[in-house]
Amino acid sequence: MFDLATVFEFTRDTVILTVGITAVLASLGVILCSSPIYCALYLISHMICLALLFLLYNAEFLAVVQIIVYAGAVMILFLFIIALLGGKKEIQENSLERSIAFGLIFTLLGELYLSATVGPTKQIEGTINSEMFGTAKAIGLELFSKHIVAFELASAVLLVAAVGVICLAKFSFTPLKRR
Amino acid sequence: MGLDWVTGFLNKLWDFTVQSLTDNVPLIIGSVKAIVIAVAVMSVVPALVWLERRLMGRFQVRLGPNRVGPFGFGQPMADTIKLLFKESIIQSSADKFLFHLAPAVVVFTAIVAFAVIPFGAPFEVFGQTIELWGANVNSGILFVFAISGMGIYGMVLAGLSSNNKYSLMGGLRSSAQMISYELTLGLSALSVIILTGSLSLIDMVEAQEIVPFILIQPLAFLLFFIAGVAETNRAPFDLPEAEQELVAGFHTEYTGMKFAMFFMGEYINMVTMSALVTLLFLGGWNSYGIPIWPIVAFVGKVVFLLCVFIWLRSTFPRIRYDRLMTFGWKVLLPLCLLNLLITGTIKVL
Repeated sequence: MFDLATVFEFTRDTVILTVGITAVLASLGVILCSSPIYCALYLISHMICLALLFLLYNAEFLAVVQIIVYAGAVMILFLFIIALLGGKKEIQENSLERSIAFGLIFTLLGELYLSATVGPTKQIEGTINSEMFGTAKAIGLELFSKHIVAFELASAVLLVAAVGVICLAKFSFTPLKRR
Repeated sequence: MGLDWVTGFLNKLWDFTVQSLTDNVPLIIGSVKAIVIAVAVMSVVPALVWLERRLMGRFQVRLGPNRVGPFGFGQPMADTIKLLFKESIIQSSADKFLFHLAPAVVVFTAIVAFAVIPFGAPFEVFGQTIELWGANVNSGILFVFAISGMGIYGMVLAGLSSNNKYSLMGGLRSSAQMISYELTLGLSALSVIILTGSLSLIDMVEAQEIVPFILIQPLAFLLFFIAGVAETNRAPFDLPEAEQELVAGFHTEYTGMKFAMFFMGEYINMVTMSALVTLLFLGGWNSYGIPIWPIVAFVGKVVFLLCVFIWLRSTFPRIRYDRLMTFGWKVLLPLCLLNLLITGTIKVL
Protein backbone atom coordinates (compact mmCIF):
# COMPACT_ATOMS: atom_id res chain seq x y z
CA MET A 1 0.00 0.00 0.00
CA PHE A 2 1.53 3.31 1.04
CA ASP A 3 5.21 3.74 1.47
CA LEU A 4 5.45 5.34 4.89
CA ALA A 5 8.78 6.99 4.20
CA THR A 6 7.37 8.96 1.27
CA VAL A 7 4.30 9.89 3.32
CA PHE A 8 6.63 11.21 6.04
CA GLU A 9 8.70 13.14 3.50
CA PHE A 10 5.53 14.61 2.03
CA THR A 11 4.26 15.73 5.45
CA ARG A 12 7.62 17.26 6.26
CA ASP A 13 7.66 19.20 3.00
CA THR A 14 4.11 20.37 3.60
CA VAL A 15 4.97 21.58 7.09
CA ILE A 16 8.06 23.42 5.84
CA LEU A 17 6.04 25.04 3.04
CA THR A 18 3.24 26.05 5.42
CA VAL A 19 5.65 27.60 7.92
CA GLY A 20 7.48 29.42 5.12
CA ILE A 21 4.27 30.85 3.65
CA THR A 22 3.12 31.92 7.11
CA ALA A 23 6.46 33.70 7.61
CA VAL A 24 6.01 35.60 4.33
CA LEU A 25 2.40 36.50 5.15
CA ALA A 26 3.40 37.69 8.62
CA SER A 27 6.15 39.88 7.19
CA LEU A 28 3.59 41.36 4.76
CA GLY A 29 1.39 42.06 7.78
CA VAL A 30 4.20 44.06 9.39
CA ILE A 31 4.26 46.60 6.56
CA LEU A 32 0.57 46.57 5.65
CA CYS A 33 -1.00 46.75 9.11
CA SER A 34 -1.93 50.21 10.39
CA SER A 35 -1.91 49.60 14.15
CA PRO A 36 1.61 49.51 15.67
CA ILE A 37 0.72 46.82 18.23
CA TYR A 38 -0.43 44.45 15.53
CA CYS A 39 2.65 45.30 13.45
CA ALA A 40 4.85 44.26 16.36
CA LEU A 41 2.82 41.07 16.81
CA TYR A 42 3.18 40.22 13.12
CA LEU A 43 6.94 40.71 13.45
CA ILE A 44 6.99 38.37 16.46
CA SER A 45 5.06 35.70 14.59
CA HIS A 46 7.42 36.10 11.65
CA MET A 47 10.40 35.50 13.94
CA ILE A 48 8.74 32.46 15.50
CA CYS A 49 8.16 31.07 11.99
CA LEU A 50 11.85 31.58 11.22
CA ALA A 51 12.75 29.72 14.41
CA LEU A 52 10.45 26.87 13.38
CA LEU A 53 12.18 26.74 9.99
CA PHE A 54 15.57 26.48 11.73
CA LEU A 55 14.12 23.70 13.87
CA LEU A 56 12.79 21.83 10.83
CA TYR A 57 16.29 21.88 9.35
CA ASN A 58 17.74 20.44 12.60
CA ALA A 59 19.45 23.67 13.70
CA GLU A 60 18.12 23.38 17.23
CA PHE A 61 20.45 25.83 18.96
CA LEU A 62 19.93 28.51 16.33
CA ALA A 63 16.14 28.15 16.65
CA VAL A 64 16.23 28.57 20.43
CA VAL A 65 18.60 31.54 20.22
CA GLN A 66 16.39 33.13 17.57
CA ILE A 67 13.42 32.94 19.95
CA ILE A 68 15.35 34.15 23.02
CA VAL A 69 17.12 37.07 21.37
CA TYR A 70 14.73 38.33 18.69
CA ALA A 71 11.24 37.12 19.56
CA GLY A 72 11.88 37.38 23.30
CA ALA A 73 14.23 40.20 24.20
CA VAL A 74 14.14 42.62 21.25
CA MET A 75 10.42 42.49 20.51
CA ILE A 76 9.37 42.84 24.14
CA LEU A 77 11.22 46.18 24.16
CA PHE A 78 9.34 47.20 21.00
CA LEU A 79 6.01 46.41 22.68
CA PHE A 80 7.20 48.22 25.81
CA ILE A 81 7.88 51.40 23.84
CA ILE A 82 4.57 51.13 21.99
CA ALA A 83 2.77 50.75 25.30
CA LEU A 84 4.63 53.74 26.79
CA LEU A 85 4.06 56.05 23.84
CA GLY A 86 0.51 54.86 23.20
CA GLY A 87 0.08 53.13 19.87
CA LYS A 88 -2.31 55.14 17.71
CA LYS A 89 -3.60 53.87 14.39
CA GLU A 90 -2.11 55.73 11.51
CA ILE A 91 -4.50 57.07 8.89
CA GLN A 92 -3.84 55.52 5.54
CA GLU A 93 -4.49 57.47 2.39
CA ASN A 94 -4.04 56.47 -1.19
CA SER A 95 -1.18 58.45 -2.62
CA LEU A 96 1.41 58.20 -5.33
CA GLU A 97 4.07 57.10 -2.82
CA ARG A 98 1.85 54.29 -1.63
CA SER A 99 1.26 52.90 -5.11
CA ILE A 100 4.97 53.16 -5.85
CA ALA A 101 5.70 51.21 -2.66
CA PHE A 102 3.22 48.51 -3.65
CA GLY A 103 4.76 48.33 -7.11
CA LEU A 104 8.17 47.88 -5.56
CA ILE A 105 6.95 45.13 -3.23
CA PHE A 106 5.37 43.14 -6.01
CA THR A 107 8.42 43.58 -8.25
CA LEU A 108 10.59 42.24 -5.43
CA LEU A 109 8.24 39.30 -4.88
CA GLY A 110 8.32 38.56 -8.59
CA GLU A 111 12.09 38.65 -8.55
CA LEU A 112 12.09 36.32 -5.56
CA TYR A 113 9.88 33.90 -7.46
CA LEU A 114 12.11 34.08 -10.51
CA SER A 115 15.29 33.56 -8.52
CA ALA A 116 13.71 30.60 -6.75
CA THR A 117 12.65 28.90 -9.98
CA VAL A 118 15.22 29.94 -12.57
CA GLY A 119 18.31 31.06 -10.63
CA PRO A 120 21.20 28.68 -10.07
CA THR A 121 21.23 26.75 -6.81
CA LYS A 122 24.58 25.58 -5.49
CA GLN A 123 25.39 22.53 -3.46
CA ILE A 124 26.86 23.15 -0.01
CA GLU A 125 30.54 22.32 -0.13
CA GLY A 126 32.73 20.85 2.60
CA THR A 127 32.07 18.09 5.11
CA ILE A 128 29.42 18.35 7.79
CA ASN A 129 29.82 16.43 11.00
CA SER A 130 26.35 14.93 11.31
CA GLU A 131 26.65 14.29 15.06
CA MET A 132 27.55 17.85 15.97
CA PHE A 133 25.32 19.52 13.38
CA GLY A 134 23.33 22.41 14.77
CA THR A 135 24.49 22.02 18.35
CA ALA A 136 25.86 24.77 20.57
CA LYS A 137 29.25 23.02 20.52
CA ALA A 138 29.59 23.20 16.73
CA ILE A 139 28.68 26.89 16.65
CA GLY A 140 30.98 27.66 19.57
CA LEU A 141 33.94 25.88 17.98
CA GLU A 142 33.37 27.72 14.73
CA LEU A 143 32.96 31.13 16.41
CA PHE A 144 35.93 30.88 18.74
CA SER A 145 38.41 29.39 16.28
CA LYS A 146 37.85 30.72 12.76
CA HIS A 147 35.96 33.92 13.49
CA ILE A 148 37.49 34.95 16.83
CA VAL A 149 38.63 38.42 15.68
CA ALA A 150 35.30 39.35 14.12
CA PHE A 151 33.47 37.98 17.14
CA GLU A 152 35.51 40.00 19.64
CA LEU A 153 35.25 43.12 17.48
CA ALA A 154 31.47 42.74 17.38
CA SER A 155 31.34 42.47 21.17
CA ALA A 156 33.49 45.61 21.49
CA VAL A 157 31.16 47.50 19.11
CA LEU A 158 28.13 46.42 21.14
CA LEU A 159 29.81 47.57 24.36
CA VAL A 160 30.58 50.96 22.81
CA ALA A 161 26.95 51.22 21.70
CA ALA A 162 25.71 50.46 25.22
CA VAL A 163 28.02 53.08 26.76
CA GLY A 164 27.00 55.56 24.06
CA VAL A 165 23.29 55.10 24.80
CA ILE A 166 23.88 55.74 28.48
CA CYS A 167 25.89 58.91 27.64
CA LEU A 168 23.18 60.14 25.26
CA ALA A 169 20.42 59.52 27.78
CA LYS A 170 22.31 61.90 30.11
CA PHE A 171 21.47 61.16 33.71
CA SER A 172 21.52 64.85 34.60
CA PHE A 173 18.68 64.73 37.12
CA THR A 174 19.58 64.52 40.79
CA PRO A 175 18.75 61.12 42.25
CA LEU A 176 16.14 60.85 44.98
CA LYS A 177 17.41 61.17 48.52
CA ARG A 178 17.64 57.87 50.36
CA ARG A 179 15.48 57.62 53.40
CA MET B 1 -18.68 -12.47 -4.02
CA GLY B 2 -19.44 -9.12 -2.40
CA LEU B 3 -18.65 -10.59 1.02
CA ASP B 4 -15.22 -11.78 -0.16
CA TRP B 5 -14.36 -8.30 -1.32
CA VAL B 6 -15.39 -6.86 2.05
CA THR B 7 -13.37 -9.39 4.09
CA GLY B 8 -10.38 -8.89 1.80
CA PHE B 9 -10.62 -5.15 2.25
CA LEU B 10 -10.96 -5.52 6.04
CA ASN B 11 -7.95 -7.82 6.13
CA LYS B 12 -5.90 -5.33 4.16
CA LEU B 13 -7.06 -2.52 6.40
CA TRP B 14 -6.13 -4.54 9.49
CA ASP B 15 -2.68 -5.33 8.05
CA PHE B 16 -2.13 -1.69 7.20
CA THR B 17 -3.18 -0.57 10.68
CA VAL B 18 -0.89 -3.08 12.38
CA GLN B 19 1.96 -2.18 10.05
CA SER B 20 1.62 1.56 10.56
CA LEU B 21 1.27 1.08 14.33
CA THR B 22 4.47 -0.98 14.56
CA ASP B 23 6.31 1.45 12.27
CA ASN B 24 5.21 4.45 14.28
CA VAL B 25 5.83 3.25 17.85
CA PRO B 26 8.03 6.27 18.73
CA LEU B 27 5.35 8.62 17.35
CA ILE B 28 2.62 6.94 19.41
CA ILE B 29 4.75 6.98 22.57
CA GLY B 30 5.47 10.66 21.95
CA SER B 31 1.81 11.55 21.50
CA VAL B 32 0.79 9.64 24.62
CA LYS B 33 3.53 11.37 26.60
CA ALA B 34 2.45 14.77 25.31
CA ILE B 35 -1.15 14.16 26.36
CA VAL B 36 -0.14 12.77 29.77
CA ILE B 37 2.16 15.72 30.48
CA ALA B 38 -0.37 18.35 29.38
CA VAL B 39 -3.22 16.80 31.37
CA ALA B 40 -1.07 16.18 34.45
CA VAL B 41 0.32 19.71 34.45
CA MET B 42 -3.13 21.23 34.14
CA SER B 43 -4.67 19.05 36.83
CA VAL B 44 -1.85 19.86 39.24
CA VAL B 45 -3.16 23.43 39.38
CA PRO B 46 -6.32 22.83 41.51
CA ALA B 47 -4.31 20.61 43.86
CA LEU B 48 -1.72 23.36 44.19
CA VAL B 49 -4.39 25.97 44.90
CA TRP B 50 -5.73 23.69 47.63
CA LEU B 51 -2.22 23.20 49.06
CA GLU B 52 -1.57 26.93 49.01
CA ARG B 53 -4.82 27.82 50.76
CA ARG B 54 -4.36 25.13 53.42
CA LEU B 55 -0.73 26.02 54.08
CA MET B 56 -1.44 29.78 54.06
CA GLY B 57 -4.14 29.08 56.65
CA ARG B 58 -1.69 27.25 58.87
CA PHE B 59 1.00 29.93 58.45
CA GLN B 60 -1.50 32.59 59.50
CA VAL B 61 -2.80 30.53 62.47
CA ARG B 62 -6.21 29.79 61.00
CA LEU B 63 -7.73 26.68 59.46
CA GLY B 64 -8.03 27.36 55.77
CA PRO B 65 -10.78 25.78 53.63
CA ASN B 66 -12.12 22.71 55.48
CA ARG B 67 -15.88 22.55 54.86
CA VAL B 68 -16.19 21.07 51.35
CA GLY B 69 -15.22 17.41 51.45
CA PRO B 70 -12.54 15.82 53.67
CA PHE B 71 -9.74 18.32 54.46
CA GLY B 72 -11.43 20.74 52.06
CA PHE B 73 -10.51 18.64 49.02
CA GLY B 74 -13.80 19.59 47.35
CA GLN B 75 -12.95 23.29 47.49
CA PRO B 76 -10.75 23.42 44.34
CA MET B 77 -13.43 21.50 42.40
CA ALA B 78 -16.13 23.91 43.54
CA ASP B 79 -13.87 26.84 42.61
CA THR B 80 -13.20 25.39 39.15
CA ILE B 81 -16.91 24.86 38.46
CA LYS B 82 -17.67 28.39 39.62
CA LEU B 83 -15.01 29.87 37.33
CA LEU B 84 -16.15 27.79 34.35
CA PHE B 85 -19.76 28.91 34.63
CA LYS B 86 -19.11 32.55 35.46
CA GLU B 87 -20.17 35.09 32.86
CA SER B 88 -17.29 36.38 30.75
CA ILE B 89 -17.42 40.17 30.62
CA ILE B 90 -15.43 42.15 28.05
CA GLN B 91 -15.69 45.89 28.15
CA SER B 92 -16.55 47.46 24.80
CA SER B 93 -13.37 49.55 24.57
CA ALA B 94 -11.08 46.51 24.74
CA ASP B 95 -9.25 45.08 21.74
CA LYS B 96 -11.25 41.84 21.44
CA PHE B 97 -8.68 39.70 19.62
CA LEU B 98 -5.73 40.57 21.88
CA PHE B 99 -7.97 40.33 24.94
CA HIS B 100 -8.74 36.70 24.08
CA LEU B 101 -5.21 35.93 22.92
CA ALA B 102 -3.41 37.03 26.10
CA PRO B 103 -4.56 34.31 28.56
CA ALA B 104 -4.10 31.66 25.87
CA VAL B 105 -0.47 32.73 25.38
CA VAL B 106 0.19 32.55 29.12
CA VAL B 107 -1.20 29.00 29.53
CA PHE B 108 0.23 27.69 26.25
CA THR B 109 3.79 28.83 26.99
CA ALA B 110 3.57 27.52 30.55
CA ILE B 111 2.59 24.03 29.38
CA VAL B 112 5.05 23.92 26.47
CA ALA B 113 7.95 24.90 28.73
CA PHE B 114 7.23 21.79 30.78
CA ALA B 115 7.70 19.54 27.73
CA VAL B 116 11.49 19.30 28.10
CA ILE B 117 11.58 18.76 31.88
CA PRO B 118 12.84 15.23 32.62
CA PHE B 119 11.47 13.63 35.78
CA GLY B 120 13.16 10.26 36.05
CA ALA B 121 15.69 7.85 34.58
CA PRO B 122 14.50 5.87 31.53
CA PHE B 123 13.11 2.34 32.06
CA GLU B 124 11.99 -0.53 29.80
CA VAL B 125 8.44 -1.79 29.16
CA PHE B 126 7.67 -4.49 26.53
CA GLY B 127 11.11 -4.05 24.99
CA GLN B 128 10.53 -0.34 24.50
CA THR B 129 12.63 2.14 26.40
CA ILE B 130 10.28 4.65 27.96
CA GLU B 131 12.02 7.89 28.81
CA LEU B 132 10.40 10.03 31.45
CA TRP B 133 10.62 13.28 29.53
CA GLY B 134 8.54 14.83 26.83
CA ALA B 135 11.42 15.62 24.51
CA ASN B 136 15.18 15.32 24.85
CA VAL B 137 16.16 18.68 23.43
CA ASN B 138 19.92 19.15 23.22
CA SER B 139 19.68 22.69 24.48
CA GLY B 140 16.92 21.91 26.98
CA ILE B 141 17.57 24.69 29.47
CA LEU B 142 17.71 27.31 26.72
CA PHE B 143 14.40 25.99 25.42
CA VAL B 144 12.77 26.51 28.82
CA PHE B 145 14.14 30.06 29.02
CA ALA B 146 13.01 30.85 25.47
CA ILE B 147 9.46 29.61 26.00
CA SER B 148 9.04 31.20 29.42
CA GLY B 149 10.34 34.43 27.86
CA MET B 150 7.49 34.25 25.37
CA GLY B 151 5.09 34.01 28.32
CA ILE B 152 5.76 37.69 29.14
CA TYR B 153 3.84 38.62 25.99
CA GLY B 154 0.65 37.26 27.55
CA MET B 155 0.89 39.73 30.41
CA VAL B 156 1.95 42.68 28.23
CA LEU B 157 -0.86 42.00 25.74
CA ALA B 158 -3.38 41.69 28.55
CA GLY B 159 -2.26 45.08 29.83
CA LEU B 160 -2.30 46.67 26.38
CA SER B 161 -5.64 45.30 25.22
CA SER B 162 -7.67 46.00 28.37
CA ASN B 163 -7.72 49.78 27.77
CA ASN B 164 -7.34 50.41 31.48
CA LYS B 165 -4.48 52.38 33.00
CA TYR B 166 -4.01 49.97 35.92
CA SER B 167 -3.79 47.04 33.51
CA LEU B 168 -1.30 48.93 31.35
CA MET B 169 0.85 49.75 34.38
CA GLY B 170 0.72 46.12 35.46
CA GLY B 171 1.71 44.91 32.00
CA LEU B 172 4.61 47.36 31.80
CA ARG B 173 5.80 46.43 35.26
CA SER B 174 5.66 42.73 34.54
CA SER B 175 7.68 43.08 31.33
CA ALA B 176 10.31 45.31 32.99
CA GLN B 177 10.58 43.03 36.01
CA MET B 178 10.79 39.81 34.03
CA ILE B 179 13.38 41.14 31.58
CA SER B 180 15.54 42.32 34.49
CA TYR B 181 15.33 39.10 36.44
CA GLU B 182 15.72 36.89 33.37
CA LEU B 183 19.36 38.05 33.24
CA THR B 184 20.01 36.84 36.77
CA LEU B 185 18.20 33.59 36.04
CA GLY B 186 20.23 32.91 32.91
CA LEU B 187 23.57 33.91 34.37
CA SER B 188 23.19 31.81 37.52
CA ALA B 189 22.16 28.84 35.39
CA LEU B 190 25.27 29.49 33.32
CA SER B 191 27.53 28.53 36.23
CA VAL B 192 25.84 25.11 36.31
CA ILE B 193 26.25 24.88 32.54
CA ILE B 194 29.97 25.59 32.98
CA LEU B 195 30.26 22.82 35.59
CA THR B 196 28.39 20.31 33.42
CA GLY B 197 29.66 21.35 30.01
CA SER B 198 26.25 20.67 28.49
CA LEU B 199 22.94 22.45 27.88
CA SER B 200 20.91 19.28 28.26
CA LEU B 201 18.94 18.97 31.51
CA ILE B 202 19.47 15.20 31.55
CA ASP B 203 23.27 15.59 31.41
CA MET B 204 23.03 18.06 34.28
CA VAL B 205 21.23 15.56 36.49
CA GLU B 206 23.71 12.83 35.58
CA ALA B 207 26.60 15.14 36.53
CA GLN B 208 25.14 15.43 40.05
CA GLU B 209 25.18 11.72 40.82
CA ILE B 210 27.63 12.11 43.71
CA VAL B 211 27.13 15.65 44.98
CA PRO B 212 24.20 17.97 44.20
CA PHE B 213 25.28 21.33 42.80
CA ILE B 214 23.70 23.20 45.71
CA LEU B 215 26.76 22.24 47.80
CA ILE B 216 29.21 23.39 45.09
CA GLN B 217 27.27 26.45 43.97
CA PRO B 218 25.27 27.72 46.98
CA LEU B 219 25.35 31.34 45.78
CA ALA B 220 24.14 30.41 42.30
CA PHE B 221 21.33 28.39 43.86
CA LEU B 222 20.23 31.34 45.98
CA LEU B 223 20.35 33.77 43.05
CA PHE B 224 18.51 31.34 40.77
CA PHE B 225 15.77 30.78 43.32
CA ILE B 226 15.26 34.50 44.00
CA ALA B 227 15.15 35.24 40.27
CA GLY B 228 12.80 32.28 39.83
CA VAL B 229 10.35 33.68 42.38
CA ALA B 230 10.50 37.03 40.57
CA GLU B 231 10.01 35.36 37.18
CA THR B 232 6.86 33.58 38.30
CA ASN B 233 5.47 36.87 39.68
CA ARG B 234 5.00 35.40 43.12
CA ALA B 235 5.03 37.37 46.36
CA PRO B 236 7.20 39.20 47.49
CA PHE B 237 7.82 40.08 43.82
CA ASP B 238 4.18 40.20 42.67
CA LEU B 239 4.41 43.85 41.67
CA PRO B 240 2.47 43.39 38.38
CA GLU B 241 -0.66 42.68 40.41
CA ALA B 242 -0.01 44.75 43.53
CA GLU B 243 -3.51 45.19 44.96
CA GLN B 244 -3.01 48.39 46.90
CA GLU B 245 -1.63 50.32 43.92
CA LEU B 246 -2.93 48.63 40.77
CA VAL B 247 -6.26 47.00 41.77
CA ALA B 248 -5.11 43.69 40.24
CA GLY B 249 -2.61 44.73 37.59
CA PHE B 250 -2.78 43.22 34.15
CA HIS B 251 -5.78 40.98 34.88
CA THR B 252 -8.03 43.69 36.35
CA GLU B 253 -10.55 43.44 33.50
CA TYR B 254 -10.62 39.65 33.22
CA THR B 255 -13.45 37.51 34.57
CA GLY B 256 -14.40 33.86 34.71
CA MET B 257 -12.26 31.27 32.98
CA LYS B 258 -9.99 33.81 31.27
CA PHE B 259 -9.03 35.13 34.69
CA ALA B 260 -8.50 31.55 35.84
CA MET B 261 -6.19 30.93 32.89
CA PHE B 262 -3.79 33.59 34.15
CA PHE B 263 -3.79 31.83 37.49
CA MET B 264 -3.22 28.48 35.80
CA GLY B 265 -0.26 29.96 33.96
CA GLU B 266 1.21 31.30 37.18
CA TYR B 267 0.86 28.00 39.03
CA ILE B 268 2.22 25.93 36.13
CA ASN B 269 5.18 28.32 35.94
CA MET B 270 5.70 27.74 39.66
CA VAL B 271 5.85 23.98 39.09
CA THR B 272 8.24 24.42 36.15
CA MET B 273 10.49 26.71 38.16
CA SER B 274 10.57 24.27 41.09
CA ALA B 275 11.38 21.44 38.68
CA LEU B 276 14.19 23.52 37.15
CA VAL B 277 15.69 24.30 40.55
CA THR B 278 15.47 20.59 41.43
CA LEU B 279 17.18 19.57 38.18
CA LEU B 280 19.90 22.21 38.30
CA PHE B 281 20.80 22.30 41.97
CA LEU B 282 19.13 19.54 44.00
CA GLY B 283 20.27 16.58 41.92
CA GLY B 284 17.05 15.84 40.03
CA TRP B 285 15.94 12.24 40.59
CA ASN B 286 19.12 11.16 42.40
CA SER B 287 18.12 10.10 45.91
CA TYR B 288 21.64 9.90 47.44
CA GLY B 289 21.35 6.56 49.20
CA ILE B 290 17.74 6.87 50.36
CA PRO B 291 15.98 3.79 48.93
CA ILE B 292 13.04 5.34 47.04
CA TRP B 293 12.07 5.35 43.38
CA PRO B 294 13.81 8.08 41.35
CA ILE B 295 10.51 9.65 40.33
CA VAL B 296 9.38 9.83 43.97
CA ALA B 297 12.62 11.59 44.86
CA PHE B 298 12.06 14.10 42.05
CA VAL B 299 8.41 14.78 42.90
CA GLY B 300 9.25 15.05 46.61
CA LYS B 301 11.87 17.73 45.94
CA VAL B 302 9.50 19.64 43.68
CA VAL B 303 6.68 19.56 46.25
CA PHE B 304 9.10 20.75 48.94
CA LEU B 305 10.13 23.71 46.76
CA LEU B 306 6.47 24.53 46.06
CA CYS B 307 5.89 24.65 49.81
CA VAL B 308 8.86 27.05 50.08
CA PHE B 309 7.22 29.26 47.42
CA ILE B 310 4.03 29.39 49.52
CA TRP B 311 6.04 29.93 52.70
CA LEU B 312 7.79 32.93 51.12
CA ARG B 313 4.44 34.37 50.08
CA SER B 314 3.03 34.28 53.58
CA THR B 315 6.25 35.55 55.20
CA PHE B 316 7.50 38.55 53.25
CA PRO B 317 5.68 41.80 52.46
CA ARG B 318 5.73 43.04 48.88
CA ILE B 319 8.75 45.22 48.15
CA ARG B 320 8.59 48.67 46.58
CA TYR B 321 8.94 48.86 42.81
CA ASP B 322 12.10 50.99 42.59
CA ARG B 323 13.75 48.81 45.24
CA LEU B 324 12.85 45.73 43.21
CA MET B 325 14.64 47.13 40.17
CA THR B 326 17.62 48.34 42.23
CA PHE B 327 17.87 44.93 43.88
CA GLY B 328 17.78 43.15 40.53
CA TRP B 329 20.29 45.32 38.69
CA LYS B 330 22.68 46.46 41.44
CA VAL B 331 22.79 43.47 43.79
CA LEU B 332 21.79 40.25 42.03
CA LEU B 333 23.40 40.91 38.64
CA PRO B 334 26.91 41.85 39.94
CA LEU B 335 26.82 38.89 42.32
CA CYS B 336 25.92 36.63 39.40
CA LEU B 337 28.77 37.95 37.27
CA LEU B 338 31.21 37.53 40.16
CA ASN B 339 30.06 33.98 40.76
CA LEU B 340 30.37 33.23 37.06
CA LEU B 341 33.90 34.66 36.97
CA ILE B 342 35.00 32.55 39.94
CA THR B 343 33.37 29.38 38.58
CA GLY B 344 34.93 29.88 35.17
CA THR B 345 38.37 30.55 36.61
CA ILE B 346 38.25 27.45 38.81
CA LYS B 347 37.01 25.33 35.90
CA VAL B 348 39.86 26.50 33.64
CA LEU B 349 42.50 26.00 36.33
